[in-house]
Amino acid sequence: MTRNVKSQIWPQPDDGLSLTPDNGPLLKVEDVCLHFRASNGIVRAVDNVSFSLDHGRSLTIIGESGCGKTSLARAILRLLPRNVETYTGRVFLDGTDVMTFDEERFRREVRWVKMSMVSQAAMNSLNPVLKVGLQVAEPLLLDHRATKQEAVERAREVFRIVGIPPAFLDRYAFELSGGMRQRAIIAMALVAHPILVILDEPTSALDVLTQANIMNALKKIKKELNLNFILITHDIATSSELADEVICMYAGQLVEHGRADPFYLKPLHPYARKLMASVPTLRIEKKPDFIPGQPPSLLNPPEGCRFAPRCLERFERCQEEPPLFVRGNTAVKCWLYERD
Amino acid sequence: MQDNILLSVNELRTWFQLKRWGFLRAGFVRAVDGVTFQLKRSEAITIVGESGSGKTSLLRTILGLARPTAGQITFDGRSLDGQKAEDLAWLRSHVGFVQQDPYGALAPFMTANRILKEPLAINKVNEDEHEQRIRGVMDEVRLIPVDDFLNKFPHMLSGGQQQRLVIARAMILRPKLIVADEPVSMLDASVRVEILELMRRIQQAHNLSVMYVTHDLSSVRYFSERVFIMYAAKIVEKTDVSEVVRNPLHPYTQSLLNAIPDPDPENAGRFRDIPAGEPPSLISPPNGCRFHPRCPRIIKGLCDVEEPREFEPAPDHFVECWLYK
Repeated sequence: MTRNVKSQIWPQPDDGLSLTPDNGPLLKVEDVCLHFRASNGIVRAVDNVSFSLDHGRSLTIIGESGCGKTSLARAILRLLPRNVETYTGRVFLDGTDVMTFDEERFRREVRWVKMSMVSQAAMNSLNPVLKVGLQVAEPLLLDHRATKQEAVERAREVFRIVGIPPAFLDRYAFELSGGMRQRAIIAMALVAHPILVILDEPTSALDVLTQANIMNALKKIKKELNLNFILITHDIATSSELADEVICMYAGQLVEHGRADPFYLKPLHPYARKLMASVPTLRIEKKPDFIPGQPPSLLNPPEGCRFAPRCLERFERCQEEPPLFVRGNTAVKCWLYERD
Repeated sequence: MQDNILLSVNELRTWFQLKRWGFLRAGFVRAVDGVTFQLKRSEAITIVGESGSGKTSLLRTILGLARPTAGQITFDGRSLDGQKAEDLAWLRSHVGFVQQDPYGALAPFMTANRILKEPLAINKVNEDEHEQRIRGVMDEVRLIPVDDFLNKFPHMLSGGQQQRLVIARAMILRPKLIVADEPVSMLDASVRVEILELMRRIQQAHNLSVMYVTHDLSSVRYFSERVFIMYAAKIVEKTDVSEVVRNPLHPYTQSLLNAIPDPDPENAGRFRDIPAGEPPSLISPPNGCRFHPRCPRIIKGLCDVEEPREFEPAPDHFVECWLYK
C-alpha cells in the first residue's frame, strides 16, 4: 500500500528532476536576495546568500532574531508574502534550477513533494475542526497524488515515524499536548516523502524535556529515513543537536559556513566568536560574554562589513564589504581571513 | 521571627476555581500546592520549572496579584494573610516586579520619564526628589546618556533597552525585594547575559533580595546561589546552584539536566536519556509523587501511593523524593 502511494508521489523520471544522489550537491543556493517593501523603505532581509549542501548532511542556520534566517528559508521554498520588492538568485535542488519553474510547476513538483517546511509556531495553526490524521494526510490528497485510504495509511506510517500512537489519527488538535502537536506538524512535513525538510525553530515554544524528546525523534528520523534537514534556530545549544554543517547569519548576510566540529569549538568570524561566547553553559565553567550595541537596521545597513560597527577587531579594510574567503572547509566573510 | 529573613512562605496553596455549571463544581487548578521556603535578606534565589509548573502563579501570589487558597506569607515581619488593601499597597511599595515581556509591560503612550515618575507619584514621594531619583536609576541600569532616553517612548527602544527600563521602574522605589519573571526569555542571546549581569550588579550594590524565575537552567549559575526546582505545583528540590549541577538528587532534576545541551558538535550523534510523557494535569494530579508516572526510578507501592515528604540527604540540600528517606 505504501509503495503504491510512493510511486505516485515521486515525480516521474521524465519530468526533468533527477533523483540520482551522485550528481552534485542536494541544494545549491546562489546569490539569493529577498527584499521587502515597507512603509519606510526597503528591508534587505536576505542579501546575496550563497551556499551548497551535500546529500546526507544536515545544516543548521543560526543567528539572532531579525538576521534573515526565516526569510532565507522562505526564499528557498518560495513562500513569499505580498510585499516582495526583489526576489533574485538561483536555487538548485538536486541539480535542477527550481527558480525557473513557474508558480504552478513549483507547487506541483517541488514544494512539499521534494522540500517541505515546519514553520515556527505551526503547532498552533492546526485546524481545530479537522481530525489531525486527515490534516497530516492532506498534502497527499491534493492533485490526486493518492486516494484517501492510501493517504491515511501513509499518515499512520509517518505518525509511527515521529512517535505518535496511531489512535491519535482520529483526535482533534485540542486533544493533543504541545509536544504531540509539534510531532504532528513534523509528520505533515514528512508525509509526501520529501528529500529536504526545513525546520524553523521547531522546539522554541516547548518545554525543556519535550524539546529534548523532539530532538531525539528528529535524530532518529534523520538516521532512519536518510533525510536532509535544515534547522533554523536562535538557540545555539540546541542547534548543535542536529548539525553536520553550520551557517551563521548576521544582518541578512551569511558570515560563516563550515563544518560543525570546528565551528562549535572554534568559530572564525568575529561575530560568530562573540555569539558563541555569549551562550550560557551548564557544565563548563566560563564567564559568558555579550556583544555591545545592536544589530543594524536592515532598512539601511552600514556600508562595508555590516558587523564592523560592533566589531572589536575592525581595521581600515572593513569599510569595504568583504567577500567570502575559504579557509579549509570553512567560508568566512571577514577581511581578517584575506591572507592565511 | 528571625531578623535576617525577608520573605517567608509557608504551605502556600493557590488554587484557581474552574468555571461552575449550576451547582456542579468543576474543580480547581492547583497551580501552587504546598510551597514552603524562606528568603533571606540580600539573597538571590532562582525558581526553575517548565511552563505550567506554577512558578508564575507562585510569584503572582507573593505579589498579591492572586489570592492564596491556604498558607501564610510573611514579608519583612508583617503577615499578609488578610490581603487587606493597605497591606498590599505597603507590600508593593517594597517589592519591584520585572515582567517577562518588556514591551507589554510598558505603557506605549508614556515616555520613559513618565513611566518612571508614575510609581513615585502614586507612593507620594516628594516631588523635588523625582528628577534626581529618575536620573539616578537610569544611570544605574545604563540607559545613558540619560537625556537621550528621558523623552523616548517604549517603541523607540530596543528589546534590551526596554528591559532596562522595566528594571529601572522596579528599582525606583528602592525596594527590598525584586521579583523577576523570566526577565530575559524574550531577548536575544547576545543581550541576555548583559541583562542578567546588570541585575546581579544591582542586587549586590543594594543588598537586595531577588527571586528570579526561569525555565532555563543554564542561565542560573550566572545569577544566584540557591535554586529551587518546581514540578507540577510543588518545589521538589532546593539546593545550591553548583550542587544541583554536580549532584542533582530528584529524578526530575536529573532528567532536566540531561535535557539541556551545551553547544557541542558531539551532540549530533547522541540520543538523550529523557523520560517520555508530559507533566500531569494540575486539575487532578496523580496520587503520591507527581513525577511517578514518568519516573525511571519509581518504587512501586510507595511513590504511587504516598506523597513524599521533604528529606535532607546532604546538608542544605532538600529533596521531596522517597529515594532519600
